[in-house]
Amino acid sequence: MFNLVTRAQAISNHAITCTAIIAALVIVSSFFQLQLDQVWSLNTTSISNVQAGASLKGSFQYGAKNGKQKENSIIKFDLDADLTPLFNWNTKQVFVYLTAEYPGKSDGSSNKVTYWDKIITSKDDAVLSLKNHRAKYSVWDVENSFRQRDAELKLEWNIQPHVGPLIFGQTSATTPFTFAEVKTKKDRA
Amino acid sequence: MNLRTQVAQFLALAYVFSGAYMTWKTLGVVANTHSPIVVVLTGSMEPAFQRGDVLFLWNRQKSNSVGDVVVYETSTKDIPIVHRVVREHHNQDKQYLLTKGDNNAVDDLSLYGRKKSYLTQSDLVGTVKGYLPKVGYVTILLTENQYFRFGVFGLMALSALLQSE
Repeated sequence: MFNLVTRAQAISNHAITCTAIIAALVIVSSFFQLQLDQVWSLNTTSISNVQAGASLKGSFQYGAKNGKQKENSIIKFDLDADLTPLFNWNTKQVFVYLTAEYPGKSDGSSNKVTYWDKIITSKDDAVLSLKNHRAKYSVWDVENSFRQRDAELKLEWNIQPHVGPLIFGQTSATTPFTFAEVKTKKDRA
Repeated sequence: MNLRTQVAQFLALAYVFSGAYMTWKTLGVVANTHSPIVVVLTGSMEPAFQRGDVLFLWNRQKSNSVGDVVVYETSTKDIPIVHRVVREHHNQDKQYLLTKGDNNAVDDLSLYGRKKSYLTQSDLVGTVKGYLPKVGYVTILLTENQYFRFGVFGLMALSALLQSE
């Protein structure tokens, strides 16, 4: 009865059970730690000095189609944030992203776009302080034009765990800005 | 060695396989997707998801928000792609999504194929809800490394022979 195969099976079964229990403990305990750190109401963030610019782009990579130019928006901003509470024993990385939310032309339509994001893998890098920082992405809309529309900037985060569920949240700071008018050659002259 | 024990062994094996298949299909029905569990094959979401990590999907959402990690299929690639939603545009009945891999320099516009500039809900296999590291590497080894595959099959055959003694 007690041959090599049954022994190996018993050992691997026991190992799998133990690993599963440890993983469950890690998931539950880290969730309570996040609750204790009140990560869903982080109020150490500020987004300020938002300067919006706009231009017309002709490339496919900027949303242009059929040779028609597409309106693109870019911003510069200041950002201060302390995301250290998001790091505990079950945090593999924090993905932090700056979003702008704005209404569409028709009733009930809404849009949300990402201007900037960052992968943070260590607690030492979790304090952000950016001055006059240029957005990572040039943003276009489903509609042809969205100049002069009001938008709201927000800093959101996603915790990627070592094991368990993905956790999402946002910081309490919101900063309004208006999409810029496209500069034409006439304006510049 | 008689026929009765051999048939019993075969039944036990069939029970294991059908059990696994039923669990997989049940999960698929609950999560409303054709593959409720996927194994990461590329490094475009590193360091969050590495090759061999296992992801659990959910596909009963009506819409997605920016920041969600979704799995989608397109006509240009034959493997499902795991990327993050960076833009969403919606009205009462439709939602357009733009995705990008965290580790990629540019968005997925060129992956969507001709004349397609956004994803819709019907392109999605699901939204990533849970994560298990490394376990899926076994399936990558089984499909991509023939030495490992033959090794495993050899071991199974050997154990079957040993058990019948």
